[in-house]
Amino acid sequence: MTDRILEISGVAKSFPRRNQPEIVALRNIDIDIERGSFVSIVGASGSGKSTLLRIIDGLLAPDRGAVTVNGKVVTKPGPDRAVVFQNDSLLPWKTVIQNVAYGLTLAGVKWREAAKKAQYFIDLTGLTGFEEQYPHQLSGGMRQRVNVARGLAVDPDILLLDEPFAALDAQTREIMQTELLRIWMQSGKTILLITHQIDEAVFLSDEVIVFSARPGTVRERIAIPLARPRELDVKRTQDFVGLVDRIWKLIEDEVRASVRN
Amino acid sequence: MWRSFYDYLNQDSTGAGIARLVISTLFVLAVWQVLTMTIVQNRMLLVPPREVLQAFGREIGSGAMWKNAVATVMAVGTSFPVAVAIGVITGLILASNRVVSLMVGPLLSALNSVPIIALAPLFIAWLGLGLTSKFVLVLLVAVFPVIVTTEAGLRAADKNLIEAAKSFNATPLQVFATVTFPYALPFIVSGVRVAWARALVGIVVAEFFGSFAGFGFAVMAAGQTFDTATLLTYVIVLGAMGLVGSMIFQSLETRLAPWRNA
Repeated sequence: MTDRILEISGVAKSFPRRNQPEIVALRNIDIDIERGSFVSIVGASGSGKSTLLRIIDGLLAPDRGAVTVNGKVVTKPGPDRAVVFQNDSLLPWKTVIQNVAYGLTLAGVKWREAAKKAQYFIDLTGLTGFEEQYPHQLSGGMRQRVNVARGLAVDPDILLLDEPFAALDAQTREIMQTELLRIWMQSGKTILLITHQIDEAVFLSDEVIVFSARPGTVRERIAIPLARPRELDVKRTQDFVGLVDRIWKLIEDEVRASVRN
Repeated sequence: MWRSFYDYLNQDSTGAGIARLVISTLFVLAVWQVLTMTIVQNRMLLVPPREVLQAFGREIGSGAMWKNAVATVMAVGTSFPVAVAIGVITGLILASNRVVSLMVGPLLSALNSVPIIALAPLFIAWLGLGLTSKFVLVLLVAVFPVIVTTEAGLRAADKNLIEAAKSFNATPLQVFATVTFPYALPFIVSGVRVAWARALVGIVVAEFFGSFAGFGFAVMAAGQTFDTATLLTYVIVLGAMGLVGSMIFQSLETRLAPWRNA
């Protein structure tokens, strides 16, 4: 018996353009995700990955189809989901602890309690000692830790990550990947990660969903049977390289096409 | 020695700021002194700094400085806060409603480009000599920069921050209170800073034409009696008012948006 936390059925989304044919971002998407799992969506740019994430969060409404979380149809953002965005979406005039507690204070949680919960996730994400710093005083990696902590602090059932490490340098990104795995293990949350980094998706996930572009559709779903807990050296194993290679071949043509455009 | 002094002046500390101000002031005074001793010896055109200082003492001693200060500060002190309040509220309305903004915007920029100062004689004819005409003139010149920067600041709010707030299910009021308005605040303060400089021009012109007291009146009166020392005294006082206001708003701006200077 599987426990599905997220079900996406028949979701489609188009964006009209003036004097031009509309952009079909997503066509007929069916995905289900098990509670507690780590799932990634990879695809070339323009494959509608971020659009899907916004639909799951309730920031965008699908043209057709529906998203259900915990059996309830999504119509707007709710406390069962939280997003970690790719860019700097921290409030620059708030300290680290105020930023982590932001979602809680919006939900009407009293400051003392919000700060207590925020402190827990500050410690979990390795931000201890930086509570009173402002985002501009932190490195990109530390800022994304704050972003992750802010998402976790509202205690969502599912955490949605939109290319969270895209702006980081390669070394920092690898560290953040292992950190994210640790946080996922400790928090027991379901995580859905959007990324264009295939090795990142394979390293972190139980399953990788490969999207094809224009219109965005599910190309293939690939289970990742690598043993857990995983350390960075798994990236040098034959199995790992084979999986990355297989996914790359699926999207290679589209990535080449998107580079030409 | 010179090297370390130069490095000291290059610092961002308060002490270094004061030192820089003292040095530049001394330089201006020195040039001024030399000018009065060499090129401009006609005392009706320019007097040396020492005589201005004496005039300053005279004005304070006779109570004239106090009387003029009360008149000017009363007028600016009442109308400037009102101008800021009206400016911010108008900016809020313009930023929240596109149709209103599109309709009123061109009108406002037309009004903004009219030199309202030129209407001073008209206002004085309508409203009489005294506080009312000063109040209205200062209000009109100071309100526009605040309107413009408030609207621009509110519209400039980072879309990513708004989306993040919405992803946490923020209500429109929460988005405004936690994202849009804090983002706009430093913009608004920079508008207030510009408005302050304009308000001082406004008050001086209003007092030129229509009052019996105030710094502008004193400048006018001194000019008509060729009392250059007293004239310069009041000009320097006005300059100091402008400088102090500008410095206060500048520091408020950096305090509200420390990340911009990072």
